[in-house]
Amino acid sequence: MQISEILSPSRIAGNVDVSSKKSVLELLANLIADDTPDLTQTEIFDSLCARERLGSTGLGHGVAIPHGRLRGSKQTLGAFIQLNEGVDYDAVDQQPVDLLFALLVPEASTDEHLQVLARLAEMFSDSELVTRLRQGGSNTALYELLKE
Amino acid sequence: MDFLNQLIFIGAVLLFTSIVASSAASRFGVPLLLVFLALGMLAGEDGFGGVNFDNYATAYLISTIALAVILFDGGMRTSIKSFRVGLRPALSLATVGVLITAVVTGLFTSYILGLHWMQGLLLGAIVGSTDAAAVFSLLHSHGLQLKERVGATLEIESGINDPMAVFLTIILIEMISAGEVAPGWWLAGAFAWQMGLGALLGIAGGYLLLAIINRLTLALGMYPLLVLAGGLMVYGLTNVLGGSGYLAIYLTGLLLGNQPMHSRQNILRVHDGMAWLSQIVLFVLLGLLASPSAIVADAIPAISAALVLIFVARPLATLVCLAPFRMPWREMLFIAWTGLRGAVPIILAIFPLLAGLDGAQHYFNIAFFVVVASLTLQGWTLAPLSRLLRLQVPPKPAPVQRVELDIPVASGYELVTYHLKEVTPVVGKPLKQLRLPEGSRLVGVLRDSSFLQSDGEMRLAQNDGVYIVCHEHTLEQLNKLFAAEATPAQLDDRGFFGEFVLDGQATLSDVAMMYGLQIPAELQSRTLAEHLTGSMRNRPVVGDRVRLDKVQLVVREMDDGRVARVGISLHD
Repeated sequence: MQISEILSPSRIAGNVDVSSKKSVLELLANLIADDTPDLTQTEIFDSLCARERLGSTGLGHGVAIPHGRLRGSKQTLGAFIQLNEGVDYDAVDQQPVDLLFALLVPEASTDEHLQVLARLAEMFSDSELVTRLRQGGSNTALYELLKE
Repeated sequence: MDFLNQLIFIGAVLLFTSIVASSAASRFGVPLLLVFLALGMLAGEDGFGGVNFDNYATAYLISTIALAVILFDGGMRTSIKSFRVGLRPALSLATVGVLITAVVTGLFTSYILGLHWMQGLLLGAIVGSTDAAAVFSLLHSHGLQLKERVGATLEIESGINDPMAVFLTIILIEMISAGEVAPGWWLAGAFAWQMGLGALLGIAGGYLLLAIINRLTLALGMYPLLVLAGGLMVYGLTNVLGGSGYLAIYLTGLLLGNQPMHSRQNILRVHDGMAWLSQIVLFVLLGLLASPSAIVADAIPAISAALVLIFVARPLATLVCLAPFRMPWREMLFIAWTGLRGAVPIILAIFPLLAGLDGAQHYFNIAFFVVVASLTLQGWTLAPLSRLLRLQVPPKPAPVQRVELDIPVASGYELVTYHLKEVTPVVGKPLKQLRLPEGSRLVGVLRDSSFLQSDGEMRLAQNDGVYIVCHEHTLEQLNKLFAAEATPAQLDDRGFFGEFVLDGQATLSDVAMMYGLQIPAELQSRTLAEHLTGSMRNRPVVGDRVRLDKVQLVVREMDDGRVARVGISLHD
């Protein structure tokens, strides 16, 4: 799986200011919905929230990977946000989260879903990448970083 | 006078060498106790030192005190919470287990060596118990962190099984001396009296001592001494009244270690030193006492006893004793292998010598060999085996130093010090982004020997010294932020607990839907906590894992006996 298959520069936002977990999830849902006509912002947001209710997707070290499965979606979709200042996310280490990669998969997909999630978690455990992402930049700059 | 000065000098040299050698030994993973024992032998009659020490009565007195101090410290360091999963299996191993070990070892060796079966039994009883000093020091070395069920069982077992071995040994010596062969019913009564009185006086003594410590105002250095004197008083009194002093002092320690106690960290720190001193003195002394040349002469019986004990008796005892607790086979195998023998068998082997039993020297030689074999074979392989059996859990980081704020207004508060490493999560983060748990406050950051002006933009760096005042409840969370160290991949957070975290209260149907898992209909409505508890057929501990279709669920956090958080590993 390549990151370029699930992410596009239009679903990336850098140097964002938000104040809560709810608003950053809304923003992620917006990014995906704007890019995907057959999905609404509300159903995406609800799907991400449903997962958060089972336990926070904050992995620690300021990174979160919110994810969900959606009936209407036809392909695996990712979105990425870098925040100027972290928000409380109830992460495992209780520290604020400032890097978020959201992933939505079609309901039909099974194994692939798990592999992509595992891959993302591994990718964000690389402290060098994370440090560079934190420095922010344009959508395309962030996209290039993530694509590697 | 000259002799006394020589004695002081030799004693100090041995102590000094032991301590210096311990630093080298821990680098090579050699069991420390083995090093102390070897040093004693080197100094002894067959070694370079040529010290001819064979005063068994003195050796017995000193080693008894040392053992009591070690058990006391072991009790203080045992968390009462670990009793939840460890007490019942440990009790079973410490009573029935010792009996089975003694009988099997005894009968086998008497058959092989053509001894009378009573003599065989005595030998079995002498080597029947595992050693608290060995278990505590080996299980806590090199940042080894075992799954709680295994660690707790082994530790508690080693703390409470000596009385059983002592009891059996003394009874058998009395019976052999008196020429009796049939054990009478009075045995059961004697056993109940010893253990009952030991337990009663241990707990009562603990409460009394605690009350005294918390009421007296003393110079700081006096508290640990008061505790030591109190513990040894409990030990002595219990023995005088015919109870088991070892059991009593272990329980007193356990009680003190698990109650709010004045000057607690101070007491623990000094007793840590006391326990080390006791271990060194004990093992060097026992090494001195042994005559390697004589042991070699007893090599054949000694090797057979060691082999039978390690490969037959202990595994059999473990299998029988743990059968009711349905432990996973990996854990049983590890417990069967970790039947570490240490000082106790050597001390017990002095009993027949003091009693003037026929062939007493042989018991001593054989017991000594068994201990060396056990420490070498089992002690050395314990850490690799725990890795192989996947029984290690991610290590729990700790501050460099903890000092309690021992004033009435600051009850439960401590000043803790961290030394930041490159991999510590907070390194590189600006202070303003740091969320410390409630009830904790960062009071200073030292860099290059001077305090930094802390404004929000300042970033923590490698090698910084960080000082935090916190309540003891928040310590675990702080440790994860400030003390984490590099761990091998299979023991880092993601590698061990899996990629994501789920609440113990989430239902299986929700999780299955989220990750596209196929699960049987009857499981749908269960919560993760219920599922893990049910599938383990045992009280769950951190690190227990269960497969669910394509993923693995791992117990991540326990809260008050319940599964609070569960890791989900997306790889198989």
